[in-house]
Amino acid sequence: MGNKQTIFTQEQLDAYQDCTFFTRKEILRLFYRYRDLAPQLVPLDYTNKPAVTLPYELIGSMPELKDNPFRQRIAEVFSEHGDGNMTLDDFLDMFSVLSEMAPRDLKAYYAFKIYDFNNDDYICKSDLEKTVNKLTRNELTPEEVSLVCEKVIYEADVDNDGKLSLTDFQHMIVRAPDFLSTFHIRI
Amino acid sequence: FFPGCDAEEDLIGSLASMSTKERIKAIQKRPETIRKKREIRNKVLKEITEKSRRRGARPSSCTQCLQGVAVSFRRFGNTLSEYFHLLWIWHKTLKIIGAEFGTSVLSYFVFLKWLLNFNIFSFLINFSFITIPQFLAAEPNNLSFTGLELFTGAGYFQQTVLYYGFYTNATISKIENGPSYNMQLAYIFTVGIYFVICFLILLFSMAKSFYRNFVNPQAFSGNASKLLCTWDFNITNEKAVKLKQKNLSTQIKEDLAEVNKEVLDFSVMERVFRIAIHLLAWVASLGTAVAVCTGVYFLSINNLKLFMKEHGNDLEGQAGMLVLPVIASLLNTLIPFFFSWLGHLERFQTPGQHIYVTITRIIILKMSVVGILCYYWLNIVATSESQCWETLVGQDIYRLVLVDFIFCLLGSFFGEFLRRIIGTTVFVSLGLPEFDIGRNVLDLIYAQTLTWIGILFSPLLPGIQMIAFFIVFFVKKVSLMRNCQPPRKVWRTAQMTTSFMFLLFCPSFLGVLSVIGVIVWSLKPSEGCGPFRGLSSMYAAVTEWIRILENYAVSKWVVWIYHNLITSELFFFILSSVVLIVTYLYWQIIQGRKIMTKRLYEQINN
Repeated sequence: MGNKQTIFTQEQLDAYQDCTFFTRKEILRLFYRYRDLAPQLVPLDYTNKPAVTLPYELIGSMPELKDNPFRQRIAEVFSEHGDGNMTLDDFLDMFSVLSEMAPRDLKAYYAFKIYDFNNDDYICKSDLEKTVNKLTRNELTPEEVSLVCEKVIYEADVDNDGKLSLTDFQHMIVRAPDFLSTFHIRI
Repeated sequence: FFPGCDAEEDLIGSLASMSTKERIKAIQKRPETIRKKREIRNKVLKEITEKSRRRGARPSSCTQCLQGVAVSFRRFGNTLSEYFHLLWIWHKTLKIIGAEFGTSVLSYFVFLKWLLNFNIFSFLINFSFITIPQFLAAEPNNLSFTGLELFTGAGYFQQTVLYYGFYTNATISKIENGPSYNMQLAYIFTVGIYFVICFLILLFSMAKSFYRNFVNPQAFSGNASKLLCTWDFNITNEKAVKLKQKNLSTQIKEDLAEVNKEVLDFSVMERVFRIAIHLLAWVASLGTAVAVCTGVYFLSINNLKLFMKEHGNDLEGQAGMLVLPVIASLLNTLIPFFFSWLGHLERFQTPGQHIYVTITRIIILKMSVVGILCYYWLNIVATSESQCWETLVGQDIYRLVLVDFIFCLLGSFFGEFLRRIIGTTVFVSLGLPEFDIGRNVLDLIYAQTLTWIGILFSPLLPGIQMIAFFIVFFVKKVSLMRNCQPPRKVWRTAQMTTSFMFLLFCPSFLGVLSVIGVIVWSLKPSEGCGPFRGLSSMYAAVTEWIRILENYAVSKWVVWIYHNLITSELFFFILSSVVLIVTYLYWQIIQGRKIMTKRLYEQINN
């Protein structure tokens, strides 16, 4: 059945298959994509679990991410230490959550973390302002940005604390059925 | 002791008690890093092996061997599903389309790919079970082949496996006293089982889509969802990203300026005026549909007269047969533009209403054209004095499918290529065209409806449609990349996809099922051709077979099932009552949950 690869042990591949939404073939293909970013840094033999981390600049230059306004936040959320430098595990995790098969709740959790710029488990007004600026490429005036953020908080804040918690965000996601197909990167 | 440790032990305990599949799903769903998930997984596996060891010294070699079998079976299943992703060629193309145009335009191509699967499946089973045995019992074909057959489907093709009329009604057996192959049963069962499988697939896909995507249209909030939930991560092309950002900022500015928030306080006069305009538009569109149907009906009667009059294969006769399909396709292509223009005149309150109303009108038009053609085929062609009416119908459908395919390509050429040339050179204010998703999807649904009707009369028609869809995919993709710009207005992809699947199921597939039902149960097959010649109806083949089976003791259970379940009215009455009761119960549960949600919402707010 083509078990000729020597990159991972069978046990490692089984573990990856159980922990991500990818099949064996896709995991190997993603490994090669990871390696292509820096062939001299990534060894071809992962059986002894080498501790290889690729810097954010390489991850952010991938064609799937390089034009995404949120690429830095995505890399930060999925990296081990929150600095954007990713190991292979982080890399697989990122694309697994952004794949077609991930359920809505999982995607909502990570989308919330991406939009939470100051990592305080709430999307407050300053987080929203940064999001709006990234989404519109700084084309709106500060007053317009502020107005929009106030409107969003007014609409989506269910428990009236002036910021969006994870439950507020999930409640909003339920009413946006397109979220599953838009929060998706094909690799 | 740390409370976290207890929680983790509980988690591992609960995971260890699940079945393998559930456990994997539960681990995959957890919002943690892979490292943490791997730790949990390893602990759970250790716990499972300890538990089974604790459970006693059952023949542990047996359980181990069973576990080993289960693991290798799972690995085999994974490898198999990998090979089913053989449509890898689509993956790259879909990625490129999604990257530049976003999820909304991508949904058209995904829908096309999904429809292609139905045709591939149908072609494979028809070819294997009906056509290949027919090759063994084929009669020689003495007609000559001129190139025109490719367009008209008549002439040389009449005596080939393409049409119903060529198939034998004999029981094919090449070896003396060897196994025999009953062509009648094969034909009816293949077509029947294909439709049952299609029904189930459509039903489940539609239900899944409803479950995931259907949202009460009133609950669609404006700003918040637009901002946080609908940024399309699929778009990876720099120009497209910039365009989308610009569109988003324009939309936000418009929303803030409250330009399109027309207050709903119209005076009585204005309200009456608006209702009058809507009524007028509906009368106009329904009137157009009726006019088109009448035109198609008279053209088809003319078509039949033409066919009955000249049996010769001269050029004029052949070309005359193409008039009906060409006019039908022309009307089907042009009138949706008229409906779209009507919609602009009406000035709806939201763009969503405009889209839904236009799509409803177009589907009414297309389905009534199909309906009138079915009426013509069932009532006029079937009772006419032609030698082989099924082959006639098959040829009609072949021509319709082919001409529709050609018009689809032409529509792409005129609607997108020429429009781009005009929009960039002559009327620069028009700009590049946008890809009209609704109209294109409805074209696909119409083509698939025709194919489904044609399966009974022309078993290889799905193969032709398969090739047509392939070509349409690539032509539309090239036209899209060269001529169109990304969509500017918001298109609720998930809801529209669900609606299109519903349209494919409800007027299209169910209509086809009822037409096929009428044909199989009540129409008399022609005497001189086809697998059912001489019988009183196509279904009579099955009743005859059951009668033969009654004589064998081995197959008494089949006869019992047939008499007491399939042809018994009492059984279907009981089944329908049960389904209705269950539906009613589920509906009441939903109502109860809605009330509870509202109460909880109010509680949180206060």
